[in-house]
Amino acid sequence: MSTTTVATRVRDRARSRPRGIAMREKDFGVWQEVTWAEYWENIQLVGHGLLALGLDVGDRVAIHSENRREWLYADLATAAIRATTMGLYPTNPAAEVAYLLAHSGSKILIAEDQEQVDKVLEVIEQLPDLERIIYLEPRGIRRRYEDPKLLYWDDFLAIGARHREEFPGAVEGRMAKARPDDVMTLIYTSGTTGPPKGAMLSVDNVEFAIEALVSGGGFTSPPPHDRDLLLSYLPLCHVAERIFSTWFNAAVGVQVNFAESVDTVVVNLAEVQPTILFGVPRIWEKILAGVNIRTASASPLKRISARLWLRVADWIGSRLVRSGGRHTVGTRLGYAVGWVFLYRSLRDRIGVRKVRYAASGAAPIAPEVLKFFMGIGVPMHEVYGMTENSAVATANRPGRVKLGTVGEPHPGAELRIDPETGEILTRHRGVFVGYWRDEAATRIAKEPDGWLHTGDVGEWVDGTHVKVTDRMKDIIITTGGKNISPSEIENALKTSPYIKEAVVVGERRKFLGALISIELDTVGDWAQRRKIPYTTYRDLAERPEVRDLVREVVQRVNDRFATIEQIKDFRMLPKELDHEDGELTATQKVKRAALADRFGDLVESIYAPKGADAEVSR
Amino acid sequence: MTTTPARRPRQLSGRPRFYTSYAQQLRMFNTRPKRVSVGVLMALAVLVPFYVNDEVLQLLAVGFVASIGAIGLNIVTGYAGQISLGHAFFLAIGAYTAAALSGDPDERTIGFGITNLLVWLPAAGLVAALFGVLVAPLATRLRGLYLAIVTLGLVFLGEHIFKEWSSLTGGPGVGRPAAVPELFGYRFDEGGELLTRDQQLYLLMLVLLAIFAVLAFNLVRSKVGRAFSAVRDRDIAAEIMGVSLRKYKTLAFAVSSFYAGCAGALLYTVAGFFDPTSFNLLMSVQYIAMVLIGGAGTISGSIMGAMFITLVPRLTRELPAYVPFIAAEPTGVPNVFQVETVLYGLLIIGFLIFEPRGLYGIWVRLRNYWKSWPFSY
Repeated sequence: MSTTTVATRVRDRARSRPRGIAMREKDFGVWQEVTWAEYWENIQLVGHGLLALGLDVGDRVAIHSENRREWLYADLATAAIRATTMGLYPTNPAAEVAYLLAHSGSKILIAEDQEQVDKVLEVIEQLPDLERIIYLEPRGIRRRYEDPKLLYWDDFLAIGARHREEFPGAVEGRMAKARPDDVMTLIYTSGTTGPPKGAMLSVDNVEFAIEALVSGGGFTSPPPHDRDLLLSYLPLCHVAERIFSTWFNAAVGVQVNFAESVDTVVVNLAEVQPTILFGVPRIWEKILAGVNIRTASASPLKRISARLWLRVADWIGSRLVRSGGRHTVGTRLGYAVGWVFLYRSLRDRIGVRKVRYAASGAAPIAPEVLKFFMGIGVPMHEVYGMTENSAVATANRPGRVKLGTVGEPHPGAELRIDPETGEILTRHRGVFVGYWRDEAATRIAKEPDGWLHTGDVGEWVDGTHVKVTDRMKDIIITTGGKNISPSEIENALKTSPYIKEAVVVGERRKFLGALISIELDTVGDWAQRRKIPYTTYRDLAERPEVRDLVREVVQRVNDRFATIEQIKDFRMLPKELDHEDGELTATQKVKRAALADRFGDLVESIYAPKGADAEVSR
Repeated sequence: MTTTPARRPRQLSGRPRFYTSYAQQLRMFNTRPKRVSVGVLMALAVLVPFYVNDEVLQLLAVGFVASIGAIGLNIVTGYAGQISLGHAFFLAIGAYTAAALSGDPDERTIGFGITNLLVWLPAAGLVAALFGVLVAPLATRLRGLYLAIVTLGLVFLGEHIFKEWSSLTGGPGVGRPAAVPELFGYRFDEGGELLTRDQQLYLLMLVLLAIFAVLAFNLVRSKVGRAFSAVRDRDIAAEIMGVSLRKYKTLAFAVSSFYAGCAGALLYTVAGFFDPTSFNLLMSVQYIAMVLIGGAGTISGSIMGAMFITLVPRLTRELPAYVPFIAAEPTGVPNVFQVETVLYGLLIIGFLIFEPRGLYGIWVRLRNYWKSWPFSY
């Protein structure tokens, strides 16, 4: 019996439903549709092309592109010929591109456009393994760049077509020999501390994840089907988007719609009205901030109505939180009336009108944000997983939601919490093969008996749900010897639409401090309405009025925490944190070490004997 | 290379902005609310004659015909951007062509006795269109104000000819019978067993308006319509894009005068009689007012504007009952006719200043208010 892979799944679907829609991409203002037959056809062409370029079993193909059709063609074709896909974040700067390509030893790079090609050409001397650079967008490259390694996508497909004529069935032949332990993909972790590590996921890992998350309803419940629509907008090189865009699509035929770009997500959401929506906390926070700002600046009648019904939504949300997501007669009634006045139109405007299952994951999120979405009728679930366990760990199930927890372990997945360290450990078929070319790190992460160290500290809630406290290495121990989880405080701060990023500091200090970066859009809007002039981000951040605004937020958050966990003082970051400058990872997570390094003097000034700034908690 | 046949993209339900092909974007009724509301409106319009008295029906029927004329003017002025003050001239051409074709050969005015509506209506349109094509070269040479003045000249020319050519028009103060609305032996202007004369005429005009409106709508959302808009927005840019100014300006005038001709032919079938002095500057101004008040560059706006302008005189007739110093008879000062004329002027000024996009613009703003709920943008 041949092994089922994502590639065979697509092939089978292309045979049973050739005219069904596999994916759409907006091009020239219209969502161009790709049927399953076309999808499979393209996979074959790319697969033959890769074979023609001499790609062998286990060779690495790197993809450096925004989400688009060709990403999936290349990913699936690579899986079909038993090679390994490795994705790069479109925002990765040249230095990181060099590291990732060199470390993975990629033979072929599929680069989206001139921007990405330029990055790799800059560091090409460090990449002896790289044989070909296939570019998707010819603009600025074709007939301008001389490098013999460059190959245009259309020419590459022509090579594939020729190869197919010569060796028909070569791709299918390679597919039939697939084995469960083939390494299908390398997913590099974002690397908040050190250089990124490449987690190897095998065909079997992925098949297990599909069973648990797709058929088992782990991430979408009831399970997804081919009438579901998705918007693909998070980087495909991350395990989360890969599950939703690639594996959901291959496994059950969920229709994938590619957003035009990260900036148009809000518009595209409203157009597509997906039925399944996965978001990282940043996205949910941004939507919430958008709702707050736009209702505040609406005309009087709209504003009054929105304020009233959002308050009702808040009440509905609180009731749902208490009941685990199950409606009561009262909430149903309140929602039905509010639906007419606000919820229907609001959900339509923000693009979640048809969402039947929403999930937040990949980073901790403040419960208030989730409550808001539950209140306006979006079934919101916090889920938990990581690259190393193929994202199979826990999820909140509809009707059994516990806010503040990441839910219950999936059936078929073992999960335990180390009684001594409090670390969460998981064991199942989805636990990764190991880190690519990093035996030492693999040994630390994976016990010989299969248990995976997640690096997250957690606890059981009511014996069924898991609560993740923080990353193990982020826990702050104050001089008082107290263990404090900074992410909880940071997320509470980030609930405010005015705060984009908050970093709590205080390791081996007497009290906690925070570095705060404001959200330029909302604070700018706020300043404009109050006629506060400003020029740059830094100028705005350091305005006394803005400091007062942030101080208010901090004080409100402090009220909810114990004295030891309160922020005694804070500083405004003078710049927006950025991936290019090495302050954030590609997934927009703060690199604490880099931050402590760069803004050390700011941190020191918090703990200076005589703070010039007034204390917050007075 | 794929073996499966091409599949026609379909739009997913409940996602009005999720276009998977350009055809969906250009659809006449792209949302269900639009389909439903137009359906309801049509149903109401069909039911109206059974609940409203004949006097109002006449007025509405004239309004429908005026709508056809206004759509015509809107095509050349609103869509193609060529200001024409000569609309009354084209209406006159249509009116006399139709009247002459369908007129009684034994009467004192010219008549050929071809009463079939299917003959005289297109003929009226075509003859008017022919004149439109003759005028069009002016438009390719002149722009803006100059074109307006030249087309104004047409009105005076026409007025003079029609006054003098009494064998066709019957002469000023006398006039001649209008075209006979007959279709395969059925006379719409004679009361039948089921319906009265005015009910029949109302329904006839309603059907004709629907046909003309749909045709115009299809024209303006086609390549031709987009070319018109390009010419209107910036003629030089349009020409550089490959839009032939001469071709599309001629086409705009031809289509516009075709509509005007048809409207002119039908305009007096309700009253039954008309006078050559009616086709004066005031009539041109009225049509300009319909376009501006309704909304330049919209089909539904043309209809709104035409209905509005047609109904205004009826409303001013009621004024003396409420405003004592306005006289109902033409000898008093100020009388309702003066008020009416002043009102046209005021309405045009008011709309241009406060609502340049016309009644349609008001509708759009109203719609957008609810469409953007609960936000303001």
